[in-house]
Amino acid sequence: MRPAFTLRKARFIALCLLPGVVFVVLFTYYPMIRGMVIAFQRYNLFDITSTPFVGLENFRAVLAEDRFWTALRNTGTWVAVSLFFQFFLGFGLALLLRRHFRGRGLYQAWVFFPWAMSGFLIGLLWRWMFNGQFGVINDLLLRTGIIDQRIGFLATPGWAMTSVIVANVWYGVTFFAIMIMAALQSVPKELYEAADVDGASKLRQFWHVTLPHIRPTLALIVLLRIIWILNFPDLIYSMTGGGPAGSTDIITTFLIQQVIGGDYGRGGAVGLLILGLLLAFSVFYMNATRFEKAR
Amino acid sequence: MRSTPLLAALSAASLLLVGCGSGSSSSGEVRLRMIESLTSPERTKLIKTLLADFEKANPTIKVELISPPLDSADQKITQILQTKKGLDVLEVRDHTAKSFSNNGWLAELPTTDWPGWADLTELAQKKAVEVGGKPFLIPYGFYERTLFYRTDWGMAQPPTTWEELYEAGKKMTSGDKFGYSFRGGKGGADYVVQMISAYNGDKLNPEKSFYLKDKRTIFSTPEAAQAMDLFVKIFKEASPPDSVSWGYPEMVQGFTSGVTGMLIQDPEVIKTVEESSVKAWSTAPIPKGPTGYAFQPVGYAGWGATSFSEHPKEAVKLVQFLSEAKQSIAFAKGNSLIPISKQAQNDPQFSQGAWKAYLQAQQDPKQVITIRPVDYPGWSQFLVDSDRDAQALITGKKTTAEVLKSWDAFWTDQAKKVS
Amino acid sequence: MRRALKVIVLGVWLLITLFPLYWIIVTSLKPKAEIFTLPIKYWPGNVTFEHYADLFSFADFGAYLLNSLLVSLVAAAGVTVIGVLGGYTLARFSFPGRGALMLAFLVTQMLPLFIALGPLYLLMSDLDLLNRLAGLMLVYVAMLVPFSTIIMRGFYERVPVALEEAAQVDGASRIVAMVRVVIPVMLPGIAATFIFAFVQCWNELFLAITFIDSEDAKTIPVAMNSFITQYDIDWGSMAAATVVSVLPTLVLFAAIRRYIVEGLTAGAVKG
Repeated sequence: MRPAFTLRKARFIALCLLPGVVFVVLFTYYPMIRGMVIAFQRYNLFDITSTPFVGLENFRAVLAEDRFWTALRNTGTWVAVSLFFQFFLGFGLALLLRRHFRGRGLYQAWVFFPWAMSGFLIGLLWRWMFNGQFGVINDLLLRTGIIDQRIGFLATPGWAMTSVIVANVWYGVTFFAIMIMAALQSVPKELYEAADVDGASKLRQFWHVTLPHIRPTLALIVLLRIIWILNFPDLIYSMTGGGPAGSTDIITTFLIQQVIGGDYGRGGAVGLLILGLLLAFSVFYMNATRFEKAR
Repeated sequence: MRSTPLLAALSAASLLLVGCGSGSSSSGEVRLRMIESLTSPERTKLIKTLLADFEKANPTIKVELISPPLDSADQKITQILQTKKGLDVLEVRDHTAKSFSNNGWLAELPTTDWPGWADLTELAQKKAVEVGGKPFLIPYGFYERTLFYRTDWGMAQPPTTWEELYEAGKKMTSGDKFGYSFRGGKGGADYVVQMISAYNGDKLNPEKSFYLKDKRTIFSTPEAAQAMDLFVKIFKEASPPDSVSWGYPEMVQGFTSGVTGMLIQDPEVIKTVEESSVKAWSTAPIPKGPTGYAFQPVGYAGWGATSFSEHPKEAVKLVQFLSEAKQSIAFAKGNSLIPISKQAQNDPQFSQGAWKAYLQAQQDPKQVITIRPVDYPGWSQFLVDSDRDAQALITGKKTTAEVLKSWDAFWTDQAKKVS
Repeated sequence: MRRALKVIVLGVWLLITLFPLYWIIVTSLKPKAEIFTLPIKYWPGNVTFEHYADLFSFADFGAYLLNSLLVSLVAAAGVTVIGVLGGYTLARFSFPGRGALMLAFLVTQMLPLFIALGPLYLLMSDLDLLNRLAGLMLVYVAMLVPFSTIIMRGFYERVPVALEEAAQVDGASRIVAMVRVVIPVMLPGIAATFIFAFVQCWNELFLAITFIDSEDAKTIPVAMNSFITQYDIDWGSMAAATVVSVLPTLVLFAAIRRYIVEGLTAGAVKG
């Protein structure tokens, strides 16, 4: 149904796309490519009077660091656990909110409020609540007798990761709930009516009608979310800064540390590694989910 | 006509952009931009009053002060310097002096036709030219650590050695109270380095304090391992568990809020403690090692002018103004720093109360002032790496031997790069 | 029974969601000393508005609010217009390079911002855009173009082509058809894109602290970042600032909540 390609249309297309393309090329691609080139240079703010090309030296230096691998493992935990809880809690919330009830609008407005906050603020908020001395979470747990001694949540390696993930889950459930709710609403009513006629139970309906219909959407949402969580250092940065002892370092906070250390060359190398990782994962993921769709 | 809405949108956007640009300065007026690094709200206020005095004395000059958050301030300064514009006067720290001068960003400051130079203490003059052999900055004051301790927590005498500090700290620790404001977060490694230095005793070369007189690194000795093991013990047995991630603010707050009984910090904390609810406290020189030596660098920072300033004369004028006796003493008092002006030596404020510990340390030949290898290329990388190593050490993720081995290797390698 | 369970679950989740909000409000109303008192008080012993007063007297928070508002409104408007135009072409035409363009847009979303930050800073300096709200608007637009374009495309694809064709048969040009027929149908999506962009700009921290250090061009996140000082995080002011800075987006969100759910998912659902 798409109109054929003509010169007049070409001009129209070009004009419509031009502003966006100009912005993205100038302010995203140009600095990004410069940043990538730096990955192959010795580029340390300590002395930038000479910045020779050094081939893969920065990559070698990064890959030789234990911290990089620790950060990579942490990234896996951070993404997988956050995603798991965000997804299932979000799904649950969406299912509960699917049918209209009195006050649903109001409820949505309140429950979606974390979405309005920035990762930076949320990090600070939770950092305050998880505070080892004056934190409200310690106080609540003490009062209810769940613990009998304050826990230095952000100060203990094991707890710190749990804490940042709790904050991230709190933040991200909303997103999934919104997206999944919309996906659920996109299922044509006729499908359910047909299933009703067949006398299928609610559970069977969910399994055989709802799920297959929204699966492509879910797959896409999950992919976007994975990329986003991985590229989301704000929260960790303001909660723990990657500590203690690198136990909450993810690959993006590792990158920030390289840049703050003044070594833009290594920073660029880490950035490229992240990009490569994400691209490879996306391709793999899309192939895998499309495969399922075809089946 | 087809593209009208697009054109309209674009021109609307460009109009907005023009409208939003910041206004240019009025004619005949010189605008200086100045940036500070070790920011705090109180200090920024103080600098602003000094700048107001400067503007009053020089009605044609206006100074805009930039005060980035402390954590990222030096990175911000580097970033601005890199563009070689839009900055005239800046705070240069001992950590940053070398890299700023390496890159040619600092202007050489004239000393001969400025009467203020003669008024600087010997130490201030020495530090002004320490990096690069030329005066790229005028220090505004010095930082030296001292031990703050509670006198009402059952300790008769302040500890004089690290071993004593550990024992005293252990005794103080019970329930919600802890012995020592440990620093496990940002800047924490500096404390273990300080202990290692003390344990190496007179083998250490004070001019290059990460090396021994026999050119090996201070991290290569068995004494270094002893010091590091004690460091871990102090954390585990005499410090709050939370302090694993404490940086400057938390450790000071730990002391002033009554969580900890001892704190090792710079003189600027004197003011903070005076204003806190902690009343029974005193100061003492920093603890020594087993052979009776203690080493510490004298930290400093100062004001400098950029090499690319469009108003070099006015920039130098401002640096000199800030470094003259009246202003520099006001600044040193306001931040409780060791002053740079000879005239301050007669000032009673710098020899009373909490300051006595500094005099005591100055008179003790075994309290040695050192110079750290801040001018080695790996310095800033080591600052970042060593903090994480120290944290890994106290959380048991790395052993003393592993950490010392990597630090020894790092500085052995650095020595090769420099010579 | 099932109803009761549902109410309980929803109630618990509401509690979990709102507790941090409650806590930040309580913190913002406590006098400084009370913030650091044990045992913790769940309601301030002495309610004080000193932290709010501080914000507007000591820190000039009003000016930061205005800056944030200006930057976010202009950037969100700009990016929405670009999205409306770009999304339309991507949805309605097939042309060489269309797939590549979409991919190029998607890749920007995968890129860690920090790799580009250094070079971008130098570029902004060369263009004399540092410390200017205009500069911030431009990078925000650039940051959000891919998202807004792709989401608007999803929205157009939901609108039947027949609608426009009918209008064009009546003699209207393509642009006129777009403005008269398609855009009204798409208003919810446009609103959602706008709000989303607004919130992103309103909350953005890393670019803002990189490009802005002049007092008179600071946005709220930049100002809040400076509450983290050498001595301590000023939790009272921080809490008050958080409350103030969240309010506008909260109000906005509540006002057009309906459209957001529809709009934000348009891109994803059609994929």
